[in-house]
Amino acid sequence: MEEVKAKMPRYYLAWAKDDAIRKKGANGGFVTATLVSALETDFIDVALVVKKKSVYEGIPVLTNDPEEIKECSGSLHCVPLNLTKYVVEYAAKKRIGLPTKPCDARGIIEQAKRRQVSLENVYMVGLNCGATLHPLRMREIAAYYGLDPDSVVREEIKEGKIFLVSDEEGKEKEKWMKIDELEEKGYGRRDACKSCVTKIPTMADLACGNWGSNDEKKTFVEVLTDKGETLFKNAVDSGYVAIEEAPGKGIETRQRIDAGMQKRAASWKEKMDALKALSRSERFEFYVGALKNCIHCGACKEVCPVCACEEDAKCTGLYDERDSYAISMYNLVRIFHLMDSCIHCGQCEDVCPVDIPLTLIQRRFSERMQRHLGYTPGMDVTKKPPLYETELGWSAEAE
Amino acid sequence: MKTNSSICPGCSIGCGLYLLESEEGGKRKVLHRTTSPMNEGKLCRFGTDLHTYYEREAMINSVDGKEVKQEEAIKAAKESLKGMKPDELAFIALPGTITNEEIVSFVSLAAEFGCENVSFGFERFFSVVPEEAAYIIENGLPFSEVEGASKIILFFLDPFVHYPLLARRILKAKKNGAKVIEVSFAKNERGIADETVLVKPTEVERIKEKKELFEDSLIIGELTPYTNPQFLSLMLWLNASTSSRLFLLKPFLNSTGAFLLGRDGGRKDLFEILEGVERGEIKALYLLETDIAGAMLGGEEVAETIPKLDLLIEQNAFRTHLSDTAGITICSEPFFMKKGTVVNVEGRVLEIGGESEKGLGIMESIGKGRKYEEVHEEAKKRLGLGDSEISEFEIAVKREERKFEVVEPKIEKEEGGGAEEEYFLWYKTNPFFWNGIRAKNFVEISPVAMRELGLFRGDVVEIVQGEGKERMGFKISDLPPNLVLSEAKLSIKPLQGLLTRVEARRAE
Ligand SMILES: Cc1cc2nc3c(=O)[nH]c(=O)nc-3n(C[C@H](O)[C@H](O)[C@H](O)COP(=O)(O)OP(=O)(O)OC[C@H]3O[C@@H](n4cnc5c(N)ncnc54)[C@H](O)[C@@H]3O)c2cc1C
Ligand code: SF4
Ligand code: SF4
Ligand code: SF4
Ligand code: SF4
Repeated sequence: MEEVKAKMPRYYLAWAKDDAIRKKGANGGFVTATLVSALETDFIDVALVVKKKSVYEGIPVLTNDPEEIKECSGSLHCVPLNLTKYVVEYAAKKRIGLPTKPCDARGIIEQAKRRQVSLENVYMVGLNCGATLHPLRMREIAAYYGLDPDSVVREEIKEGKIFLVSDEEGKEKEKWMKIDELEEKGYGRRDACKSCVTKIPTMADLACGNWGSNDEKKTFVEVLTDKGETLFKNAVDSGYVAIEEAPGKGIETRQRIDAGMQKRAASWKEKMDALKALSRSERFEFYVGALKNCIHCGACKEVCPVCACEEDAKCTGLYDERDSYAISMYNLVRIFHLMDSCIHCGQCEDVCPVDIPLTLIQRRFSERMQRHLGYTPGMDVTKKPPLYETELGWSAEAE
Repeated sequence: MKTNSSICPGCSIGCGLYLLESEEGGKRKVLHRTTSPMNEGKLCRFGTDLHTYYEREAMINSVDGKEVKQEEAIKAAKESLKGMKPDELAFIALPGTITNEEIVSFVSLAAEFGCENVSFGFERFFSVVPEEAAYIIENGLPFSEVEGASKIILFFLDPFVHYPLLARRILKAKKNGAKVIEVSFAKNERGIADETVLVKPTEVERIKEKKELFEDSLIIGELTPYTNPQFLSLMLWLNASTSSRLFLLKPFLNSTGAFLLGRDGGRKDLFEILEGVERGEIKALYLLETDIAGAMLGGEEVAETIPKLDLLIEQNAFRTHLSDTAGITICSEPFFMKKGTVVNVEGRVLEIGGESEKGLGIMESIGKGRKYEEVHEEAKKRLGLGDSEISEFEIAVKREERKFEVVEPKIEKEEGGGAEEEYFLWYKTNPFFWNGIRAKNFVEISPVAMRELGLFRGDVVEIVQGEGKERMGFKISDLPPNLVLSEAKLSIKPLQGLLTRVEARRAE
C-alpha cells in the first residue's frame, strides 16, 4: 500500500526506501527519510537534527544538506538536549523540520503562543520518548556493567532494558540490565524523565517510535495533524518512504506500553517528591536551603524552553544583586512566572551549577496551579496560558 | 549554525562547553556540554555569558600605531628584539588563554633572545616554598577527592564566588557526610559551612593556635599573583604540621601547564619585572595574551609605567588597556579557535577544540620555526603523558603527596594609621575580576558600618587609600563591622595579599 488516503488510517508502519538510511536509522529510518524528502521537495528550508559525536554526546545541527541529515540518523539517549531554543534563535523565520521529543514539541508550542515562532513553518516529526540519561550517568552504568566507558560503541534502550555494546580490541561485548533494577541502585534516567508522563508526542505533527512495531526496521508512525499528513504524504509520494497500515495488535501494544510508562512515571513522581511529607515550615526551610545557593548565573532562564523573555525579563529586571534575601526576586519571579507554563522538562536543573532541585521546586508550584487552572502547557497552540494577560487571538486562525 | 566544542578560560577549572555561531551573522551562544567531566554541563555566569567575552574589540597588527600586514609586525618584532640586550628584555604571560604548546614556544622564544626574565605570574612563591612542597602549588587535585573528603576547611575561600563550579563539589561532599569548616574574615552568606572560625584582619597569625582544627582535613585555598607569601607559608605550615592535604585553586586556566612547562623560563617575579620597568632597567616587554593593566590591581599605575619602555610587543586576540601605546601589536586568534591543550586544576589535560595554530605560529615565526606537532609532542612529554592519548576523563598530571617541613611563619601585621574610621577592604576575587570585567558596581559592608558612615539606601560610599579612590554603591551583608568586601576590581592596590586598610566614608 503506497498511497495515503486522506486522514485514514492514522497509524502506519513506515521505513526509508533507501537501504542505507533504513539500516542506519534507529528503527526504519522513517524520520530521516521524511526530513530529507521535505528538504529536497522544498517543503522546508532547513532541518534541525542531532549529530552524534560519540555514544555519549550529540550536538544540534541546523542544515540544508540532505547528506548531513542522513549522517544524523539514529537515537541518542544520552543527549538530554531540548531543541526549542535553537528553533527560536536560529531559524524562527525559516520553514523548518525537526525531530521532537514530547518536551521539544511542547516547548515549541509554548514559544509559538508567545509569537517567537510560527507553527505554520515548523514541521514537528515527533519521537516517542521513554527517557534521556545524563551522559556521565551512562558512563557510570558502563562501568557498573564492567565495561570500559570509553570502549562503548553502541547503546540501546528496549524492552525496559539498557543495552551497552563495547568494542575492546576488536571484540564486541554486550551487557544489559533492567532499567528498574538500575534505578533502584541509583543509576539511570534523569529525574525529570523518570517522572515525565508525556511519552508520545501527541502535540507534534507526527509521532514516531518503536512501540507497536513488529519489525526493528519499521517505524511506527501516528499521523496527528493536517500538516503532519501533508508531510507524510509528501515523503511517500516522492518515493522516500514505504508504508503499510499498522496492525491493530501493534496499535494496542503501543497504547498498553504508553499507559504502563505513564503509570510508572506517576509513581516515580510520588516517590521523588521530597516535599510532600514535609510540614509547611519544613517546606519553607527546604526552599530557602536550596534557593539560597543560587549564584544567579542565569543558565536556567537561558535554557528554559517555555521562557520567551529576553534581556528585559521580569525575573532579571526585578532582581537587585544588592538585596539580601535568601530567596532572590529572580527565583521568586521565575517560579511564579512559569507556574502556568512549566513543562517539567528538567533542562533548568541539568544546567544549574549548584545543583538546585529546580524541577522538583517548579513542579511543586506549577503542577498544582496547572491542575487548578485546567491547563496543560505545550499541548495545544490555541490554548492561552492562563496567566497570560492578553487573548492569543491570532493563534486559532493563524495556526 | 556552527558548534565549537570548547573550554571556558574563566578560571583553572576549565569547564567544557560549546560555542554556537550562526553561519550568517556570527551570532554566538553558549551551549552546555553535559559530557564534560569537569563541570558536567554546568557553568557559572562567566561561562554562561562567554559569548560576550569573545565579542570584545579585536586586536590589529600594527607597528608604531600604523596598521600593517601580520608578516610585517612579526618581522618588526623579531628585529626589535634582536636589537635589545638580553637583560633589558622581559616576557610575561598570565596563563589564562595560552596553551601548553604556546608556553613551550614562549619559553624557548625568550631563551633564544637570551632573556631570563620570564613570568607567568606566580614566580615569587617558588622562593617561599621548599622544593619538596612545590607540587602543592604546581598541581591541584581531582574534584573526586573533594567530594570524598570527610573534613573540608575553606581557607578564606567562598567557593560560590571565587570558583563557582567548586561549590557543588563541596555541597556533594557535605551530602556524603563531610564536615565543612570555614576559616575566614567573613561568614559565607550561603551558610555552606557547619562551623565558622572568624579571623580578624589584624590577627591572622592567631590561626596557628587553631592548628588541631586542620587535622585530617582537606584544606582548600587559592593562590593568585596577589597572595601574600606569608599567607602561603601559613597554609603550607598548617598542611605540613597536621595530617592534612592542601588544594590550591588558581585564577588562570592553564596555571598548572605554566608551572610545569614554564620551569625553564628563568622564573622572574612579575612584580620584580614591573619594578624593573619602573627603574628603567627593563626596556622591552613581550606580553603574550596578557592585559597586564586590566588584570592587575592598580592597573593605572602599570599603564603609567609603560611609556618608560623602549619597546612593548603585544600578542593578543583582543585589544588591551595598553594596545594604544604598544609599539608592535600582533593579532592572534581567540582562545576557542586554538588548536592545543591546557591542564586544568584537577590535572586533566584538555584539548581546546579549535583548529588554529596562529598564535603559536607567530612565536615560531619570530623564533625557532617549529611545527605544531613538534611543540605538542614536547609539551606532552614534559607533562609526563608519553605516547598516551589525551582524554578529558583521565587525571593525566597526577600529584603525589610528600612530606616536607616549613618553618613556623610569622605574619606581619599591616601597620595602618590606627584611625578609628579605618576599614579593611577584602577583594573577593572571581572570574570576572581576573578577566578585567567589572561585573558588580557595589561593595558589601556591615549594618554597623552603614550606621556609622551615615549611609542610607541609594547613597554612594567612597573608599579611599592614598591616591586610590572609588565611589561605589553598597550592599548590606552580615560582615564584621570594619570589613568591606569587593568582588569588583577597584583602583585601590592592596599592600599585602588581597586585604588592605582603607578609609570609607559617605560620598557627598
Ligand atoms: C531519547 C530518545 C528516547 C526514545 N524513547 C523511545 C521509546 O521509549 N519508545 C519508542 O517507541 N520510541 C522511542 N524513541 C524513538 C525511537 O528511538 C526512534 O527515534 C523512532 O522510532 C524513529 O526511528 P527512525 O529510524 O525513523 O528515526 P531516525 O531516522 O533514526 O531519526 C531519528 C532522528 O532523531 C534525532 N535524534 C537523535 N537523538 C535525539 C535526541 N536526543 N533528541 C532529539 N532528537 C534526537 C536524530 O538526529 C534523527 O534526526 C526515542 C528516541 C529518542 C531520541
Ligand atoms: S522530559 Fe519527557 S520527553 Fe523530555 S526527554 Fe525526558 S522523558 Fe523525554
Ligand atoms: S522551568 Fe525548568 S522544568 Fe520548567 S519548563 Fe523551564 S526548564 Fe523545563
Ligand atoms: S541555574 Fe541555578 S544557580 Fe543559575 S540562576 Fe538558575 S537557579 Fe540560580
Ligand atoms: S569561570 Fe571557571 S567556573 Fe566559571 S564556567 Fe568558566 S571555568 Fe567554569
